[in-house]
Amino acid sequence: MNFIDRFMASWRKYRKPGYYEEFDYAWTMTIDLDRCTGCGACVTACQAENNIPIVGEKELGRGREMQWIRIERYWEGEYPNAKLSFIPMLCQHCDAAPCETVCPVSATYHNQDGLNTQIYNRCIGTRSCAVYCPYEVRYFNYYDHHWDAPLEQQLNPDVTVREKGVMEKCTFCVQRIRQAKDHAKDDGRRRVKDGEVQPACVQTCPSEAMTFGDRKDANSVVAKKMNDPRAYHVLEETNTLPSVVYLKKVSANAD
Amino acid sequence: MSNVDRRQFLKLVGAGGVGAGAGFMLAESIKHPVEYLIPYPIPPEEFSPGIATWYNSVCGMCPAGCGISVRTREGRAKKIEGNPLHPVNQGRLCALGQAGLQSLYNPDRLTGPMLQSGERGSEEFIQTTWEESLATVAHRLAAARDGGKNIYLLSEGVRGHLAMLLERFMGGLGSEHLMHYDFAHPHALYAANQRLFGEHALPYYDIRNTRYLLSFGADYLSNWLSPVHHSLGFGHSRQGTDLDRGRFVQIEAKMSLSGAAADEWIPARPGSEGILALGLAHQILAGGSYTGSDFDDWNAALENYSADSVAERTGVAAKTIVRLASEFTKAEPGLAIGGGAVDNHSNAVDTLVAVNLLNYLVGNIGKPGGVVFNSDPVVGGPANNRQANFIAMQQLAEQARQGAIDVLIVNNTNPVFTLPHASGFREALASIPMIVSLSSFMDETTTMADVILPSHSYLESWGDDMPQPGLGFPVAAISQPVVSPLYNTRATGDIILDLAGKLGMKDSMPWDSMEACLKDGWRQIYERSSPDASDFDTFWRDVLVSGVWGEDIHRQDTVVVDKSVIDNIDVAEPEFSGDSEQYPFFLHPYMSTAMYDGRGANLPWMQELPDPMTSIVYGSWVEMNPATAKRLGLLDGDLVSIASEHGSLEAPVVIFPAIMPEVIAMPIGQGHNAFGRYARDRGVNPLQILAPITATSSGSLATHATRVSLTATGRRAPPVQTGGETRQLGRNIVQFTDAGSTPGGHSANLNSIPIVVKTT
Repeated sequence: MNFIDRFMASWRKYRKPGYYEEFDYAWTMTIDLDRCTGCGACVTACQAENNIPIVGEKELGRGREMQWIRIERYWEGEYPNAKLSFIPMLCQHCDAAPCETVCPVSATYHNQDGLNTQIYNRCIGTRSCAVYCPYEVRYFNYYDHHWDAPLEQQLNPDVTVREKGVMEKCTFCVQRIRQAKDHAKDDGRRRVKDGEVQPACVQTCPSEAMTFGDRKDANSVVAKKMNDPRAYHVLEETNTLPSVVYLKKVSANAD
Repeated sequence: MSNVDRRQFLKLVGAGGVGAGAGFMLAESIKHPVEYLIPYPIPPEEFSPGIATWYNSVCGMCPAGCGISVRTREGRAKKIEGNPLHPVNQGRLCALGQAGLQSLYNPDRLTGPMLQSGERGSEEFIQTTWEESLATVAHRLAAARDGGKNIYLLSEGVRGHLAMLLERFMGGLGSEHLMHYDFAHPHALYAANQRLFGEHALPYYDIRNTRYLLSFGADYLSNWLSPVHHSLGFGHSRQGTDLDRGRFVQIEAKMSLSGAAADEWIPARPGSEGILALGLAHQILAGGSYTGSDFDDWNAALENYSADSVAERTGVAAKTIVRLASEFTKAEPGLAIGGGAVDNHSNAVDTLVAVNLLNYLVGNIGKPGGVVFNSDPVVGGPANNRQANFIAMQQLAEQARQGAIDVLIVNNTNPVFTLPHASGFREALASIPMIVSLSSFMDETTTMADVILPSHSYLESWGDDMPQPGLGFPVAAISQPVVSPLYNTRATGDIILDLAGKLGMKDSMPWDSMEACLKDGWRQIYERSSPDASDFDTFWRDVLVSGVWGEDIHRQDTVVVDKSVIDNIDVAEPEFSGDSEQYPFFLHPYMSTAMYDGRGANLPWMQELPDPMTSIVYGSWVEMNPATAKRLGLLDGDLVSIASEHGSLEAPVVIFPAIMPEVIAMPIGQGHNAFGRYARDRGVNPLQILAPITATSSGSLATHATRVSLTATGRRAPPVQTGGETRQLGRNIVQFTDAGSTPGGHSANLNSIPIVVKTT
């Protein structure tokens, strides 16, 4: 088998949906848009958990925001029938992620839990992944960020502080997943229990719009929500096979 | 928990970098600080490096009183989450609550006691010691007390034992002038409940179990009363039960966050919401479902509120009024709430009485999904009876101008920022010989102080709290320090106790610390509650671990409305400042989750949290209807001058699709001229140009009673927005389904677990 054949064989294996079947978990998030109020608690919880830098007004004005989860807003109709809908947008942890195939140094790859992960010290900052991502949820560090003392005392020791020239994005709070796995191991369990791990955004959501768990466990909350007739994927036509499942907003029109 | 002394433990834990406790400060200042790579070569007994310790406490960012669990690592607070055991927030927390860490570790905190050395407001201060500053204050207070001069204490709305301490302290000084001041305090709601139900208190609004919520202006998901609790209820009512999906209707002139979440948003003429409520009441009576013995009285009182006449007065279609009344009556149960703009017109009390009346007429008082009354809080008597309304604040200013106030103590409240210029409050402060401020930050009010006694962050202090509004049953929670104090600051309770000791009040306040005071007070709770714990110490430890205590007591009330109230039911025409020719627009200032009343402005996370409706960060703006902008020839980002009879401001235009054409809206919170590097000189404060109009019979400031004019400046200053295109343009990002649709569609084999995708 020559190099090309080997490459193509592993490529086909990689692109096959569900290629990670032999692994233990398939972490999934569901977001019920009928519950989401757009309050932004998830955004701040994420910033606190993941050491996301304070960018400043000037950089924000250049579109260089750093928020791994953001609230997108969409208006429908005109006054007086204008309606506003919110949708939290974060890395979809696609099973067929366009960002992964394009990275020249494999800094972003799929791990054994179905997470789309970013290896910061491998990243060389080509920003190709951000261009390929249809959800626009990858954020680039244009500068080394700075915390005015003593704000840095709040930084989470379980999460790296990223430096200039590195791409970053939502990790599904991989540090919490790791910790939950460790706890399970310490307790002599092979698997993490449903509900044992929650990313910061899911944990804080005041209207309980978000749930998180393992979709390979048919009894998990997320597996049940995925079978809700309201379940859908954003930009499904791009065939990215996301791990974030949205539940449609119910429009209860008067009369 | 082991026998380690908690305070000692916290001191040890925090002794690494700059975080030494107050007791260490003196010794530490003599020698060079020693820095350890790993701060604790010999860690305390219950502490392992790398393992997080969680402390349960109470959130201090807004008055809702949510329970928090703070994750600490190596003696530093890393993350705040909701305390899952606390019934108010049940493990959840809002953005402002999450950002509490940045109030603790804020670079602009006051680090030690200070004395004003320049002109008032010049922000020239010299550092001093606690001994000296407290002695100065105590000496001055003693002289004022003995000389029969007036001492005022203006505090943020405090509850529990700190409220009790302030009462006793002022009692000991022989002063009646203890005032609580919170900008967002719903004075009119209290007054309305007093009038209709005979109860000067906040009931529990059971949004969780309602099937139909009629909200008159209350932004219950963002900042009204207890937003996290309401959000939990909202989510549950929408999709958390097997019952019919809860339906939410929002009536307001400018769409709030709650308006966006509602199924139906109905604009009504500013100040006419109460007339609409009476119109609905008229329809409910006409529907025949109300069978109370006072039916005839109500019918007579409301006969002028037919759908057609109400439609004319409110701008809401008669058809809609009939439909809303019918939906509200049929819902099992329906609930009506009022707040926000409705709480802030000159006729606010009338309006809120009318809103409450809807609850009364559909018989949901005291029922699940309705209005449930609370018993008195377990500590401190009926809450909020000290809250100062706008009239009281103006009287304070008047007293000051007349030289009748000798000493003013301000505790962590910022009236200089939240009161309009027209109140003359800031200028009046100049006539007070001595102002003492207890605050963690150099806010606008603190810049006017002669002595600053910097207080701890809520994450460094002992305290307790009884959430307001309650939940229909008694709840109390303990606030405990989660980190050792960062700076040379002291807890408010300890400062008061220290001063009390110096002023010879040991009889009424025998404790030497807030912690001792709390422990003493909680003995009463222990005794009345017959808990499982065998002794008080066990009970105390249990409460500290769980962070919250509750009692299963529910009131059973039947409300009878007085005949005189029925006969006089009416909604007065709202009063506005400025004539409609010269000032054609109604100004609608609103609070957001992030900034609240302006207290969020010094937290960088809150500055960078995009406003959900407009995605704007860092700044102020003015929202207007597309038709209004077109008529005035204004584009998004054009700088306009907004002028009232009492001042003018400049802010960029944001075209906003869901606001009435005659209304313009501005967010509250920016426009600080002090309060640290993140808040200072950023945006404008719309509260400053408000007219000093008060709501009848509640005396609160009618923040929505000011008319303004708009003038283009010809300049542009587009605000920084993080969001992109605001229309979906066929991308189908947010998808919708009909309420009544049945499961169907095809099953798409995605991610190896079938997701049923509905075909359209």
